[in-house]
Parts: sequence; C-alpha cells; structure tokens
Amino acid sequence: MLEVKNLNAGYGFLQVLWDVSLKIEKGEFIALVGPNGAGKSTTLKSIAGLVTPKSGDILFKGEAIGGTPANLTCRMGISFVSESLNLFTNMSIYENLLLGAYTIEDKQEQLDTIDFVFNLFPRLKSRRNQLAGTLSGGERKMLAIARGIMSKPSLLMVDEPSLGLAPKLTLNVFDALETLRQGGMTILLVEQNVNTTLHITDRGYVLEQGQIVLEGPSKELLENDHVKKAFLGI
Amino acid sequence: MKDEALLKEPFPVVFRRWMTSAGGITILLTIVVAIIAAIDAGPFIIVNTVVTGGMWALLSLGLSLVFGVMNIPNFAHGEFFLIGSLTAYFTFNPLRLYLKENPSPFLSAIAPLLGIFLAFFVGALLGVILEKLIFSPLRKRSRDQWVMNSFLLTVGISVVIINSVQLTWGANFKGIPNYWNVDPLDFLGVNLSVDRLAAFLLAVVTLIVFWYFMRRTQTGRAVRAVAQDETGALMVGINLNYILSLTMALSAGLAAMAGASLLFIFPAYPTAGLKPLYVAWYVVILVGLGNVSAAVVGGFIVALLQTLTSFYVGTGWEDVIPTAVIIIMLIFKPSGLFGSEVKGIQER
Repeated sequence: MLEVKNLNAGYGFLQVLWDVSLKIEKGEFIALVGPNGAGKSTTLKSIAGLVTPKSGDILFKGEAIGGTPANLTCRMGISFVSESLNLFTNMSIYENLLLGAYTIEDKQEQLDTIDFVFNLFPRLKSRRNQLAGTLSGGERKMLAIARGIMSKPSLLMVDEPSLGLAPKLTLNVFDALETLRQGGMTILLVEQNVNTTLHITDRGYVLEQGQIVLEGPSKELLENDHVKKAFLGI
Repeated sequence: MKDEALLKEPFPVVFRRWMTSAGGITILLTIVVAIIAAIDAGPFIIVNTVVTGGMWALLSLGLSLVFGVMNIPNFAHGEFFLIGSLTAYFTFNPLRLYLKENPSPFLSAIAPLLGIFLAFFVGALLGVILEKLIFSPLRKRSRDQWVMNSFLLTVGISVVIINSVQLTWGANFKGIPNYWNVDPLDFLGVNLSVDRLAAFLLAVVTLIVFWYFMRRTQTGRAVRAVAQDETGALMVGINLNYILSLTMALSAGLAAMAGASLLFIFPAYPTAGLKPLYVAWYVVILVGLGNVSAAVVGGFIVALLQTLTSFYVGTGWEDVIPTAVIIIMLIFKPSGLFGSEVKGIQER
C-alpha cells in the first residue's frame, strides 16, 4: 500500500534521512523504532506531506505523493498523529473531532465515526464539551489519535504515543491501536519504547542516523543482538 | 475528581468568578457608566453608543480575525472601509438621482441596501486580490519576520490605495444627505434617524450571521482551526490557501460594509479610512489582539468612551481619551482586557 524508495529529506541545509526505503502492505501493523534524532518523525512528516523530500519516491496506492501538501495526502487517506499532537486547544473535544472529519462531507457519516471513536475512548465521551487545552496529557493523546481516525484513513501514522505518558495510560493507547488494527486499519507506529512496540507489531524497521539499519518481523527483531544491546539493555 | 467537580459548578459560582475577572468588571462597569450617563445627560448617549458601537464592532472584528488567523497586523483595514463607502456612493448616488425623477417607494426602500451589499462584495473581492497578489507570494517565499514584513506591506497597500483613489476621483468629499429620506423616529425622547437604526440593525444581523458561521459551520470551524494550529489544520485536510483567502475576504467585506452603512455620517474621501483604522486598533489593543468575540464587546466600549468624551469634554478630544484609557489599561493588563486567547507573536 505504501512504498518509500530511497528517500532523502531534511530541513534546509540539514539532511536527516539518507536513502530510507520501506514498504507497508494493507492491514499490517508496522513499527519504526530508533534512538532520538534518528529521523523517525521526519520520515512520517515526509509521507504526510509536512516535509518536502529532496529526492526519492513515496508511492501510496501506486500514486507518487512525494511533496504533496498535507491537506491533500489527508484526503487520499493518510492520517498523521504528530508528536506535538497539534490539537485545536481552544475548541472542545467534540469540535476537534468534527474537524478531524473535515474531509468527510456526509453529516451522518461524521456522527457515526464520532460514535465509533467515543466507543474506543469512552473517556473522551464524558468530556466532549471540555476544551482540548484543558485536558490531561493522556486524554490529549487519545483525542489526537481519535481525531486522526475521524477522516477514516486507510493508513494511520502515529508518532510517539507513549511520550510523557504514565505506563498505564501508554497501555491504554496501545490497546486502542490494537483494536483499530483488528478493525483492518494499516498502522505505522513510531516509538522509542522499543520493547512494548515490538511485542504488538507485525514487522519493524530500525532507523539509526537517518538510515534503515535493520528490518524484519518484530519477533525476530526482539531476538536480534544489535536491538537487544542498543535498545533493550540486555 | 477535581476537574469533574469544576464542570458541575453551579451557575452563581461561575457567574461570580466571571464578574471578578477583568473582562467581567469591564463589561459591568461599561453598562453602569452608560446608565449613569444616560440618566445624567439623556438617553441619546446610549442610542449613539449602540449605533456607532455596532459598526466599530464590525470593523474591529475583521481586524482581529485577520490578525488571529493570518498573523497580519493590518494597517490597510481603513482602506477597505473607504472602498466600501466609495462603492456605496457610486451605487446609491445615481439611484438617488434617478429616483428623484421617477419616484418609486419600493426601489427607494431597497436602494441603500443594494449599495451596502455590493460594498461587501467589492470589499471581499479586494481582500481576495490582495491575499492572492501580495500576501500569498510573500508567504511562499519566506515566513521569517512574517509579522513585521506583512505589517510594512499593509502600510504600503494603504498608501497606494489612498493615492489611487485621490488620483481617480479627486480629494473632494463624496457624501449623501441620507439613505432613507423619511422623518426620524422618536425613540426614548431621542430623534433617531432611520439611517442610524438601519445601520445598527444591519450590524446586529451581520454579527449574528458571522457568529453562526464561525461556531456552527464546518468552514467557520476550519477558520478557527487555522488560527489555533496551522499544522494541525493541514493535517486534518483543511486547504490553507482557501481558508486564508476566505478570512481576508470576510475581514475586508465586513469593513467595507461598515463603511457603506456609515456613508451618511462619514463621506468618502481619500483619507476617510484613517479614523476607522485607528478606532479599530484602539478596540483590538484594548480587548487583546486576536480575540474575535471580545472585539465585538470592545467596539461598544470604545463607542461609549467616544460618545461620553464628545458630550462632556468636547469633540476634539474624541481620540485623546480612548488613547489615554488604553495606555492606562496596558500598564495594568498588557495582554488586553479579556486576557489572551492567542499566543504572543513572539511565541509563534
């Protein structure tokens, strides 16, 4: 479904990604792990259209989308939940969700998706009229993911959902992702929490200093010596 | 849980907290002052305040919107007002002369509205042209120092428009005696001309429509979303260029509409936009930059200040007193009376 070929990208004169290639099939749950500053977020931003690639191809459902602005990639079915969440802080949860469904014209479809999202995160339902800026860290993450799936994407990319969350809340978020994947959604998850991530995903890519150094089924990656040494501390 | 308890707070507690906030105190104080002045001097104080206040609200609303959504401190806002009054003049005046020859009650009732609505569309069109021709290319080129650069651009636009108007139509006053040639109504012992009443009603209707648009429609929500988080707006699929053009069009259109509806007080001439521009800036500085709903309240506050000043002190002081009030206010509350919903420009 998504294919990234020899992607080079960065900010201004600073190049972050060097010949990154990855491939995601429909329905897969993929992990992209690596240390700080490896270029994980930049990879996601390039796919989402927030960063323009210097060279390389990004193919989504067979179409080249490199350099397409984010509002169009969203319409094509790519949803990106960024690390800083980018919520509309002066709007209620409900309004944030409605905006998440901006690309969906049908009113009834919007309401149905909101119901689905409220089932996934019941906590959001009880606070639907609260301003997003007054939510706790965990609730904000839930809201960001919820807003991300409001556009009914075929590919959901989530950047560091566990960042700054208590372990219990992290599990909640991962459970929600698991539920979504069982519903047939393709998910690309970026995480620093390597252990948990590799336990729930199908396949993984390890990114270091802007290059893919390892790839394979998550179970094998967990057994890999380099991963054990560098990320798991075993 | 603590915050759940907060949600269920009884209304009196919420109301008391609101009353003791800077915004609440100001609104109550304004109402009290208006009532005292009305008892002392006569109800015309309130009538005048409400009529001009509505128009100042329309003007400052647009200014605040453009600052909040596009981050542009617009010093060409007064020129939209000018374009509006010019449009209304050139639409309404021929109609007026024609009606003198061929009287028609129906046409003379709607002719002013024709001019005013046309002014809205001409203003909106000018707004879109400016956005597409000037701000959009600058945005693509560089967003460094955006606030300062766009500020300088708007000052330049203002100079160009003022001088083009002078070149084309000369510097003489282009005014009309009145829109609706009927006897003034008697309202609370005040002679209220139909023109003033219509201007006020028009402002109220426009404010309500605008409020509905911003709160209840998906496009209005998108405008607010862009103001709060541009990247977030892109991520949910909002077409930024469309929203920015729309914002500029709305802002310019509202200002032009205000100019058109006040043509019977403020005739059109090249620098007619300067006074409305200053007033709109008083208002948005007073209530806090980028705070759109507070700008509406601020419009009425500044109108009251001006009405009181011109009655008790003298018309020449009309700009002095509001400025002094703003200076004093800024010393005590630099973020504006209604706090800041918007981050400072330095933080963006």
